[in-house]
Amino acid sequence: MKYLTTVDSQPYEIEIKSEREVIVNGERVEVDFQSVADEPVYSLIVDGRSHEAYVYPEQNGLSVLMVGRLYQVTVEDERQRRLREATGGLTVPTGDFHLKAPMPGLVVAAPVEAGQSVERGSILVILESMKMQNELKAPREGTVTQVRVRPGDRVDQNQILLTLS
Amino acid sequence: MFTKVLIANRGEIAVRVIRACRELGMETVAVFSEADRSALHVRYADEAYLLGPAPSRDSYLRADRIIDIARRSGADAIHPGYGFLAEREDFARAVGEAGLIFIGPKPSAIAAMGDKAVARKTVAGAGIPVVPGTEGEGSLRDDEIVAIAPQIGFPLLIKATAGGGGKGMREVASAADLPALLQAARREAEAAFGDGNVYLEKLVLNARHIEFQILADEHDNIIHLGERECSLQRRHQKLLEEAPSPFIGDDDELRRRMGEVACQAARSVDYHNAGTIEFLVDKDRNFFFLEMNTRLQVEHPVTETVTGLDIVKEQIRIARGRKLHVTQEDIHLNGWAIECRINAEDPYNNFLPSVGRIAQIIPPTGPGVRVDTGVYPGFEISPYYDSLISKLICWGETRGEAIMRMRRALEEYRILGVRTNIPFHQSILDSHRFIAGQYDTRFVEERFSINAAEEGKETLPDIAAILATLVAHRQGQQAAQIVRRGERDTSNWKWVGRWERMHR
Repeated sequence: MKYLTTVDSQPYEIEIKSEREVIVNGERVEVDFQSVADEPVYSLIVDGRSHEAYVYPEQNGLSVLMVGRLYQVTVEDERQRRLREATGGLTVPTGDFHLKAPMPGLVVAAPVEAGQSVERGSILVILESMKMQNELKAPREGTVTQVRVRPGDRVDQNQILLTLS
Repeated sequence: MFTKVLIANRGEIAVRVIRACRELGMETVAVFSEADRSALHVRYADEAYLLGPAPSRDSYLRADRIIDIARRSGADAIHPGYGFLAEREDFARAVGEAGLIFIGPKPSAIAAMGDKAVARKTVAGAGIPVVPGTEGEGSLRDDEIVAIAPQIGFPLLIKATAGGGGKGMREVASAADLPALLQAARREAEAAFGDGNVYLEKLVLNARHIEFQILADEHDNIIHLGERECSLQRRHQKLLEEAPSPFIGDDDELRRRMGEVACQAARSVDYHNAGTIEFLVDKDRNFFFLEMNTRLQVEHPVTETVTGLDIVKEQIRIARGRKLHVTQEDIHLNGWAIECRINAEDPYNNFLPSVGRIAQIIPPTGPGVRVDTGVYPGFEISPYYDSLISKLICWGETRGEAIMRMRRALEEYRILGVRTNIPFHQSILDSHRFIAGQYDTRFVEERFSINAAEEGKETLPDIAAILATLVAHRQGQQAAQIVRRGERDTSNWKWVGRWERMHR
């Protein structure tokens, strides 16, 4: 199977013949690939060199954490690439921004109300978790359309707290 | 003399105290919240009792219940650990009134040092230099604070009177920012300590945060165990500590003077047991009293590692009324120790706390490595308590060896299930300024970025590409298998046909 992989915006063409043999940019590489301690830690031996890394799925690809360094990687197979090329980047990011709780916690304050326009960086919600007060800020300017929480509410991870249009 | 100790805490510090008790042949009583039923301290203690629901105020802050459990279980002493009730004068007093021994200072010493404003006044009276600020004024109103601020001068710090750990603390660059930050500080202090009082303090620029560990028995002996360098902080939370301090280095004269002042500060409040005097040191080696922590510190292991003393055991011996078995002349700092606080925080996402179940832990081992932790695979990191999951301490003959050892230990350490700040520590230990020992309390926030620190380092993008692709490939294959596994005994087309006919 062929993949188009990018590491921090550097592209690679990688064909996986098996978990023993891959072709990287046309060059054949023998690999020894194992998962350690269940996922997401993986061990890879290439050319006698032993590497180990965490590989986490993220919203837009994978994070590879290796020797204290983080690599942002996207991996597309041919079908995904064709799909993306066909839409030609027509999916313009529009619509509402939903502020989600990054972790479970207690809402300390929600200093905005529906109808209020906010600037980028404005504090939308203050969420207390692990004894720290975390200020959740607006990623862009917009108008608050709905505030779904009130101070004192307990919220779960990924619960929508507020919507910005 | 007591023989059974109740540990009024949780997490790694409860485990730490239980270990000391065990080694002294004492029985241990753990207390726990509903979230901590399977925590390590509960499993290690001889006895364990439920305190209440997960939130701290319903469990680890319930002084009445803790004392009641001590009575019922026959414990005759209480060790408070750090945080929670450790620096609450009323708790120490109630423990004493219940006929139990509080392993820590007298209530009057906690009170004198606990209110930061009163503490500053007390030590200033004893001739110890303090950072300029609104000392001695316990509770100023907002308008009074706004009026006084320009006299101290900007930049300045708002600090919670009952504070610690950076909570209720805000930096103010100019008078215009003061009112809003004052509200934020009060709100946070109110939530954290139930006390919204704050005071102002001049911000010392390029300051190093250096603290001295002291031990004081009930027979008038006070010694210090040298210093700890705690300048590496983020949002006033310590992240990495070392002993000795690279700033003091071999300036034994400065060490001696600061140590003496630390002992003097402890004496000014008639202090017993283990305590820590925090100083701010400016670049000209002037030092100012910052505050005294009247409890065991998170970072006590670095001092243990270079002095060879077990500070928790010393605490217990002192509480039993024994004389210190070492004198100041016996204290020598051997080699170098570094501690990294491993927090469940994502360093790549603004240090947001990470919660979840620990899937797997592979701790570092080998020469010169110590891991203090309260978690294990299968344990759930909950949002109710702080994010410290482990402390990694490395010793070396020299600072260089300690750094190299810490690097290899961090690389060995695998924690799966939650994100940790291990990559942050790895970047710090690679940074030239850290290696040169040239950092102050603002280093992390102003001159360090984990992304920039990664630039210029040896990179392995090819390996990352191969790894990620193999992982994506494997996951794709597994997903395909899951679909196949769900196959019906007949063809899906047939099945859909039947289903549609049925609904005609």
